[in-house]
Amino acid sequence: MSSITAPSPAVDPTGPLPPASRSRRRTELIMLVFAFALVAFALANVGFTLKGGLPAGAALYLAVYLAIVLLAHLAVRRFAPWADPLLLPLAALLNGLSIVMMDRLSAQVNPARGAPAISASQANLQIAFSAIGIGCFVAVLVLIREPRVLQRYTYTLGAVGILLVALPALLPASISEVYGAKIQIRFGSFTTIQPEEFAKLALAASFAGYLVAKRDVLALAGRRVLGIDLPRARDLGPILLAWAASLLLLIFESDIGTSAVFMGLFVAMLYIATSRTSWLLLGFLMFVVGAFAASRLVGHVHERFDIWLHPFTPANVNGNSFQLVQGLYGMASGGLLGKGLGGGQPYITPLVQSDLVFTAFGEEIGLAGLMAILLIYGLIVQRGLRTAISVKDPFSKLLAGGLSFMLALQVFVIVGGVTRLIPLTGITTPFLSQGGSSLVGSWILIALLVRVSDTARRPPPRPIQEEGLTQVVTLN
Amino acid sequence: MNRALRRISIAVLVMFVLLIVNVNYLQGFDTASLASKPGNSRAFYAAQNQYQRGSIVTSDGKVIAASRLSSGNDSIKYQRYYPSGPEYAPVTGYYTIFGATGIEAAKNSLLSGNDSSLDVRKIIDLITGKTTKGATVQVTVNSKAQDAAWNALKSLGKPGAVVALNPKTGAVLALASYPSFDPNVLAIHDGAKLNKIDQKLLKDPAQPLLNRALQGTYPPGSTFKIVTSSALLTQSPSTTINTNVASPTTLTLPQTQHILHNDQGEACGDGSGQAPLITAFAQSCDTTFAKIGIQVGANGLNDMAQNFGMNDANLTIPLPVARSNYVIPASQALTAFSAIGQFSDTVTPLQEAMFAAAVANGGELMKPDLVQQVTASDLSTVQGMSPSVLSHSISSSVSDSMKQMMLAVVQQPEGTAYAFRQGVTGVEIAGKTGTAETGTVTSLNDAAFTCFAPFANPNIAVGVIIQGGGYGASAAAPIAVQVIQAYQRAVGNQ
Repeated sequence: MSSITAPSPAVDPTGPLPPASRSRRRTELIMLVFAFALVAFALANVGFTLKGGLPAGAALYLAVYLAIVLLAHLAVRRFAPWADPLLLPLAALLNGLSIVMMDRLSAQVNPARGAPAISASQANLQIAFSAIGIGCFVAVLVLIREPRVLQRYTYTLGAVGILLVALPALLPASISEVYGAKIQIRFGSFTTIQPEEFAKLALAASFAGYLVAKRDVLALAGRRVLGIDLPRARDLGPILLAWAASLLLLIFESDIGTSAVFMGLFVAMLYIATSRTSWLLLGFLMFVVGAFAASRLVGHVHERFDIWLHPFTPANVNGNSFQLVQGLYGMASGGLLGKGLGGGQPYITPLVQSDLVFTAFGEEIGLAGLMAILLIYGLIVQRGLRTAISVKDPFSKLLAGGLSFMLALQVFVIVGGVTRLIPLTGITTPFLSQGGSSLVGSWILIALLVRVSDTARRPPPRPIQEEGLTQVVTLN
Repeated sequence: MNRALRRISIAVLVMFVLLIVNVNYLQGFDTASLASKPGNSRAFYAAQNQYQRGSIVTSDGKVIAASRLSSGNDSIKYQRYYPSGPEYAPVTGYYTIFGATGIEAAKNSLLSGNDSSLDVRKIIDLITGKTTKGATVQVTVNSKAQDAAWNALKSLGKPGAVVALNPKTGAVLALASYPSFDPNVLAIHDGAKLNKIDQKLLKDPAQPLLNRALQGTYPPGSTFKIVTSSALLTQSPSTTINTNVASPTTLTLPQTQHILHNDQGEACGDGSGQAPLITAFAQSCDTTFAKIGIQVGANGLNDMAQNFGMNDANLTIPLPVARSNYVIPASQALTAFSAIGQFSDTVTPLQEAMFAAAVANGGELMKPDLVQQVTASDLSTVQGMSPSVLSHSISSSVSDSMKQMMLAVVQQPEGTAYAFRQGVTGVEIAGKTGTAETGTVTSLNDAAFTCFAPFANPNIAVGVIIQGGGYGASAAAPIAVQVIQAYQRAVGNQ
């Protein structure tokens, strides 16, 4: 029996934990203080440029911001102590920059309209939504202690997701239409909710649950034609369903951007689950065919392509492409270092507070600032994908991989859109755009990544005794 | 699954690299090309907003346009304001967030501080730490003459315009148009509101935005007889002002059955059918000048009209001026009409003033100019005024004759403006009245008056046109007299 009872050589139960297992909460706190300092400087910069002094509400803004950010940090310490230390500070920095930009946009009148891009009360709402977003972040950490819990609600989440997507299309245009796309639900005259911001998350979790259950059959069954493994016809069901849903989005809600994000999310998760390139090809092909057909059938889509290809024609420049080219002009006037916060003219660009907020940053903090913002997004996505790779549970793996890819795709679609890399479609810029739904949805996404990363980075249970075959472990 | 995740990570990397490369291209390399693309108003706004815009002042130092710091959350730093509003609107024009007119447009680069002639001063400002401001434009307008013109037009309440020139330099001494608009209401920084106000002004039947002094054209009526007389005196040197000319009570126009009467059918001179030229001019006999017009011919009239500055579409002072028209008629009958300021003759109020100014300055018509000098914020002169001759209208001897005849209009008992000399003290005025039929039965005729003063040494020439004013002598002449008297008081001649 000696060979079996030989002591495990690896762990000295009384020794320090290996470095990889440090919780790094202090790092997170330092990074949060750094993010707070950046936001405070940015807010002061706006004030000094526009008013020649600190704006009256700055102290209150910063106090609220500091309070909610610290609350989030404490929640992570308590409920996800092993979480990735960068996710929260990066998200908090983007959220803080958004508060600064909304404050800046509300402080200057657009001479052509006689009103600022957003009102002061809308700018104040942005900080209120930040608080709600961080509240939801904390709530997710408290309520979902293990990511696997979500797997139980695969079909419930799927149904909720589809319902949220379909809701605006079913409602009358007076309630749901905004700038030609039916994507919102309006309560009263002021409050609107964009259900797709939450539908994305529900569907990502649902896809993850479904694919974990079915991935073997999707990966292995099928025939090989021309070197490509084709799936069985009956396994095509879910991808056809997702495709149909995204096309319906396109046709009934004229929301090409979100449709692309949905489709990309599903195809990417299918690929992660099965590792079969054929799914990628098939999904991509189906989206291109669908988008092409829609561009012929739906005027809104065709127009987007025309604006993308010919933005500077005289008819477009003061018409359909006005928004896009004004955004580009704003970025051009910003140049390498920008006009300084408060020093540019972002108010000229329509919808600069939401879809084109990236160009407002480009105008005021320049190429240098935009590189920083893109790298922050890149870091969040990288931390998310790294979490997905390191976590062991397949459901968590799929969820984290899917959410990270979706965030990347969303940034690509909107930033690529406003910089004319791809056709501009109106979706929100995560964390930066004005609007509660997007902000709250983004915080929930970060909460889910934090939750998975906590599971991924949690050190293996430490043996407290070594007696033969039986190991007693602490479960936490 | 990790292999797929790693591939997805590479795809994400590619996506971010694409974004980063594209943003670098846009903001690092494409900025100059984007800056010059159509519809890019950022540079325009930034340039307009860069420095405090310079003021516009009159020749006697009255500020008529200035900029001060905007209040509230205005994205435009300075607010333009016009202390005298509508009175000087034809001079200053307006300055809105969308565009400008008047001096505001003509001298925009200097006022905004972006003109290249200010570059050296800007560098000096940079070194000395002074705040760079736009240049100040001083216009030639005399505030006393302008006040008189504007108040007279306003109290009359009829659409019309007054222009006063210094005949020796061409300097514009007064430039008023009624009804006018308040440029302050257009200086607001609210495009939506501005569009509404602009639409309202554009649709206003009173046409307040029309600068009648420079852009309105009206039939000159009998004031055109200055051109007709000058043509006759130039063509036949033997003719003097006392030469008897055919002056029938009625005239049947050649090749027509049309019979031309003098005003109210009155006889010309002593009714003998002959009258001295000066008498016919003072009395403004249509029959006489219709005959003279036929005698000198359409081409003769056309040449002389051009000598006085008509048929010129390119005159700028530096504000653009509408073309005053003499159209060569196809028949002798129409030539007769054109010789007495009817047919297709149209003139601006500025042209009316130019008729008298040319005569007053010995036949040399000076180019009208509204800008006296432009000074940088350090008070150094950037641009001065250099008077130039626009055209040699008539010889000095013809000019002497014309002066005598215009004096007779005011001084001789039979002169059409004789009634107005009683009120005038200390200054001798010479002029010519005009009453143009507008063709509408219901409305009164347009009244015109052109004059200069003092007779011996003219320092002001005034042109007045009042739409629906009736007789030139009764509606237009009193306004000109008020402007002249105000100006003489201002320069100390009285």
